[in-house]
Amino acid sequence: MSHSHKLVIKRSSMSRPPPPPPTTNKDQQHQNPSLQEINIKLIQSGEKERLKELLRERLLECGWIDEMKALCRKKGRNNVTVDDLVHVISPKGRASVPNSMKAELLQRIRAFLASTAD
Amino acid sequence: MSSKISGRVSPQPCPHLLDFCYRNGSNPFRALQDCIRVKPPGGRAAIRREPFEVPRCGTCDESSRPRLYACVACAAVFCHAPPLHSHASAHALSVPGHEIAVDVDRAELFCCACRDQVYDRDFDAAVVAQTITSTTSTSGSTVTQCKATGSQPDNLRKRRRVDYSLWAPNSRENAIIENHSIPLHDATNGSLISSTELPWGLRGLNNLGNTCFMNSVLQALLHTPPLRNYFLSDRHNRYYCQQKNGSTLNGSKNSRFCLSCDMDAMFSAVFSGDRTPYSPAKFLHSWWQHAANLASYEQQDAHEFFISMLDGIHEKVAKEKRKTHSPGTGDCCIAHRVFSGILRSDVMCMACGFTSTTYDPCLDISLDLEPNQGVSGKSSLAKSNNSCNVEADCMGSSQNCGISTLKGCLERFTRAEKLGSDQKFFCQKCQVRQESLKQMSIRKLPLVSCFHIKRFEHSSIRRMSRKVDRYLQFPFSLDMAPYLSSSILRSRFGNRIFPFGGDEQDACNEVSSEFELFAVVTHTGKLDAGHYVTYLRLSNHWYKCDDAWITRVNESIVLAAQGYMMFYVQKMLYYKASEKQAASWCDVRK
Repeated sequence: MSHSHKLVIKRSSMSRPPPPPPTTNKDQQHQNPSLQEINIKLIQSGEKERLKELLRERLLECGWIDEMKALCRKKGRNNVTVDDLVHVISPKGRASVPNSMKAELLQRIRAFLASTAD
Repeated sequence: MSSKISGRVSPQPCPHLLDFCYRNGSNPFRALQDCIRVKPPGGRAAIRREPFEVPRCGTCDESSRPRLYACVACAAVFCHAPPLHSHASAHALSVPGHEIAVDVDRAELFCCACRDQVYDRDFDAAVVAQTITSTTSTSGSTVTQCKATGSQPDNLRKRRRVDYSLWAPNSRENAIIENHSIPLHDATNGSLISSTELPWGLRGLNNLGNTCFMNSVLQALLHTPPLRNYFLSDRHNRYYCQQKNGSTLNGSKNSRFCLSCDMDAMFSAVFSGDRTPYSPAKFLHSWWQHAANLASYEQQDAHEFFISMLDGIHEKVAKEKRKTHSPGTGDCCIAHRVFSGILRSDVMCMACGFTSTTYDPCLDISLDLEPNQGVSGKSSLAKSNNSCNVEADCMGSSQNCGISTLKGCLERFTRAEKLGSDQKFFCQKCQVRQESLKQMSIRKLPLVSCFHIKRFEHSSIRRMSRKVDRYLQFPFSLDMAPYLSSSILRSRFGNRIFPFGGDEQDACNEVSSEFELFAVVTHTGKLDAGHYVTYLRLSNHWYKCDDAWITRVNESIVLAAQGYMMFYVQKMLYYKASEKQAASWCDVRK
């Protein structure tokens, strides 16, 4: 059975961002952007991709990526799924990111938010 | 778990993928390929319906989950972050035929039922093709955007990184290596070394006119293990150095000189296997340019030359590198790396006990031969102030015990000494000049310790110089532990008049304190009409280096010689080349 396969768009899932939740205090809405809003800002401006690339570079430099690869290899190649690996690696990975790196990224995000603040 | 298809290994598809492909034709992901977007700066492929959309989970509306999957069947996006949030799995389980999804940020196919990555050759080929064309495109916006953030087709390079594999030379490379190498002298087989056969790296140095002071020091340096290793492993390549700094071709007087380059040339010549005496003329010329005040054919002091030469090596490097370094660490140049140690000086106020501590880097340690027995007031004063100092002092002023030893000199060097009343030290606590006690100790040991015996006394008052000929006994093995700051302070603590300084961790704790003697520079004759000779210890044999003449000698000759500069290297760096040989001779270590 073959039919032309088209991706059906479900408008509610891949489209414009939802309207901001109604708040009683109009000021508060502008002062404390939610994580969602920050994330969207980062994605739409392309900053998130840049930050991700920076992070990749830093993690490579300090050997974090090689460490994680080694950890993955330890698990072996048979009867291992992506979810297994993610489950095992994630806590160790998060714990071993150097603080300097976290600080650097945080600083960049802050700078970005400050520069794009309304 | 995998099958080979035309030489390439492909993982076995899971039943859900098989089912999907069966139901959707030969290229089931064709439509998906239109949604591949390659995002700068990294040039990574992502799946987006529209270029700037923000994917969010259809169930929980979250856009910030690390993994978001778009169902290939219905394009609904869901998050997948087990064990808490996995709306993708929920979707797969609830709607049959919707198990296959694609990671929106990585463009990788995923089976939400099996919870593992799956592969489709055509889809992956399309992703790779798109990635390549995007990152190598010459479209202005993409390229400048990439360059601005500094990481562009690097990403592609990373994907194709070659795996590490051990290198072994093939037959052609082997032939090249053999043709351009000189076989090392096999020093491990003791029976090969006859009494006439000289070991590797022994070559006479021609006297260029009263230059035995230079030859003797050079012989010692040519066999200083860390220095020898540095130059023989091409760490300072003279061709590269000259090329880098641009040699002056017009031969002007201010042509650049590099003592390290000349050392490199000398090492190459001495270790080449050629036994004819070598003339270190270039080196002498370079050193003259560095130490212009000493440039003459007069006899110079070997120790002065030694310090001047190390300084010359250091200066050249320091000028080039122009980087600040903490003195005493030896980070700056090879000369300092090998010889630099740190001395600690404590000055204690005798009134209040306040101690002022200073650290100074040093390239060697100059030791006084003790004054004639029974004469010096200095030594007796020191003795009375250190009644707690337990030492078998056979050099006591009242007794004529005889022989001076290197250990005795070191003990005296690290002994607490009362500064004369004309040398009162300003105490910061008392705020007035007080009589003080000064004590030296070694905070950090160098890799190679050079002990310089002050045999030449120059008295400006009496306008005369004289040489002290007294014999000094020196050991083949030396343990420097008693002279370290940690040891000195510990013994001082026992003396409760003065408070314990609470010293920081000694840098020397990391290295051993055991040293082995490998070279002795001796001086015979009078002050201005004397001769320098070096004795070298190689493979537990002693060799006398007298300018151009090298002969093997018995160790008793060495022990009886008048030591002027003794070179000790840390035991772990000292290779007693032949264990078998050592076993066949009686152990000569004292």
